[in-house]
Amino acid sequence: MRKFWLIFRNEYLRHVLRRRFIFALLSLPVFVALLVGVGLLAAWSDYDHRPVGYVDLSGFFLNARQVPSKTDNLFPPPIMQSFSSEAEARAELQEGQIQAYFTIDPQYLKNGTVRLYTLGSIKGNTRDDFQNFLRYNLLSNQPQAIAERVLNGPEIVVQSLSSNRKMASNEVLNILLPLISGLLFVVVINISGSYLVQALVEEKENRTMEIVVTSVSHAQLMAGKIVGNLLVGLTELIIWLSFGFLGLAFAQRYIPGAQNLNINFDFIWLMAVTLLPAFVMVAALMAAVGASTSGSREAQQWAGLFTLPIVIPFWLVVPLMESPNSPLAIGMSFFPLTAPVTLPLRAAFTDVPAWQTIISVLLLIACAAAALWLAGRTFRMGMLRYGKRLTWREIFGKAG
Amino acid sequence: MASIEVQKISKTFGTQKAVDAVSFTVEPGEIFGLLGPNGAGKTTTIRIILDIFKPDSGTVAVLGGAMTEEKKNRIGYMPEERGLYQDIPLERCLTYLASLKGLPAPEIHKLINDYLERFDLAAHRKKKIKELSKGMQQKAQLIVTLIHRPDILIIDEPFSGLDPINTQMVKELLVEERNRGVTIMMSTHQMHQVEELCDRLVLIDHGRTVLYGKLNDIRKQFTADAVLVRAENPLPDSLPGVILREPLNGVTRLKLARGAAPQAVLKALVAQNITLEQFEIAVPTLDEIFIRVVQGEASQE
Repeated sequence: MRKFWLIFRNEYLRHVLRRRFIFALLSLPVFVALLVGVGLLAAWSDYDHRPVGYVDLSGFFLNARQVPSKTDNLFPPPIMQSFSSEAEARAELQEGQIQAYFTIDPQYLKNGTVRLYTLGSIKGNTRDDFQNFLRYNLLSNQPQAIAERVLNGPEIVVQSLSSNRKMASNEVLNILLPLISGLLFVVVINISGSYLVQALVEEKENRTMEIVVTSVSHAQLMAGKIVGNLLVGLTELIIWLSFGFLGLAFAQRYIPGAQNLNINFDFIWLMAVTLLPAFVMVAALMAAVGASTSGSREAQQWAGLFTLPIVIPFWLVVPLMESPNSPLAIGMSFFPLTAPVTLPLRAAFTDVPAWQTIISVLLLIACAAAALWLAGRTFRMGMLRYGKRLTWREIFGKAG
Repeated sequence: MASIEVQKISKTFGTQKAVDAVSFTVEPGEIFGLLGPNGAGKTTTIRIILDIFKPDSGTVAVLGGAMTEEKKNRIGYMPEERGLYQDIPLERCLTYLASLKGLPAPEIHKLINDYLERFDLAAHRKKKIKELSKGMQQKAQLIVTLIHRPDILIIDEPFSGLDPINTQMVKELLVEERNRGVTIMMSTHQMHQVEELCDRLVLIDHGRTVLYGKLNDIRKQFTADAVLVRAENPLPDSLPGVILREPLNGVTRLKLARGAAPQAVLKALVAQNITLEQFEIAVPTLDEIFIRVVQGEASQE
């Protein structure tokens, strides 16, 4: 067991401590942060923090109150400043003290007319903010709950009776999450897998394998390599997801519009139970490839064959979303290579029956175990074959 | 208890029989030669002993039984195709491979320091393996093989690719290890090294054992059909049992008829008052025996 840890530690650290790895690890969040940063910068440049003036000729807004907003909002709505005469407001506008001013028609209740005066074009959400301001104050005599509901509008949950499908407007993340996680899974399994294949082929090619297998049992060697390289990928996944959640928390706090985004945490466990065995399964298959092929290029080509089915659900995302209980969708949640992306995706649109989830996860675990067995066997037979690949008959025939 | 006991092992890859019912025993504290031409099955035999391959039939006992994880720590193995991680510094490579042999970390550090000093590699410890010269890599490989003070050393072609200085160093090292009580099994086809170092040997060809035993006994098997004579005066025309005479580096090689005794030749020379400077039974070199056996095998096929 001690040697398993030595192998595991060596495999893990030799990647994680490389500058290349740290660069790859940080480049994605930095890239995303940069994109978001540029977006925020663009929004900031479009944002005018100066107050907006208004001249109330209707008499309804004499004691108007500001619409409450979160104090830590990055883009708080502008203060609405009351002026007693239009001349006064115009003077302020020309001095640049306010960004614009509105005049509220004496017959506002009847005709709803409001005039906007600006020096140039008006930026951002000023019109919406002013509308909100008017609504809020018109409703000031109403109970708080009624006023807020009118301002926020209804939360529409779409429920389809035919497919048990439901979707609330603030649950958009529940569609994005399986898609993003699936994508990260593909990226990470590719990274882990290629590290693993590389580690095996390299040791075969530089003949270190022969020394290592005379020091450690095949099982410990293989397990250490698989777990070590898998954890390299998982480290990346977890760090990227942590950055994602941090970003989300930031957005929920500071960015208007993102404040209503919610994550359904049922997904997290569903993804954990599908992604973990899938990780082990694909990694073991990659290890088998690394041990049985004769060179790194050939191994990479074979490894590509395993990652192809994993991305199939992405191509079929529209039919999967439209009919998440179709035979195709159910079939793809059972097939081990497509299950890790399909199952969480379906769960976003429908209540996946528990028996389907259980079968899918059990199949994944069984396949992971079978893949580990195959990897161990292929490894034992193929590790010292140089320049010659193993045949299927040899792998499944008599023990070597 | 024998250090290694190989009993009728056979191994086939595809249609090719790599090892065919090979048996031999390696005794504690000896240097044992595993000889054979290229492709004879030496490396496969070694890999079966080390439990890298399972034999199709036959058994191997190492240190009194089947190979275990604990026993792997007591064996030092140097494969013919030397293998070290090329992309990491020498010291890290040595530390990792030594740790796989079950050595505790503090001890590894001290042992590596000692060996690096001894092999003149101390100044290169931070260099990547691929930046070292071939000779230095050979030395590093030797450190990996020896660092855990194994009870059994198995070395495949210990002298291949070595210059004369390093060859001498390896030879001295092997003798030193033997004197320490280590059992050494080396596979080679450099016969003069075997003559110099080995106590016993097995010669395999086409996967089969063709010679096995003590070096001296094997030589004796192939002697007594010639004598080497150097004399002050010319040799007489007729000598009992001599069927052919040929000059050979200042001596005369007298080939004897089958069954003829060298003693009879000596007796006749003394009787005829020939002043002898040298009279020696012509012992064939291992090279000659090797060629004779292997070619004989080939001609029988």
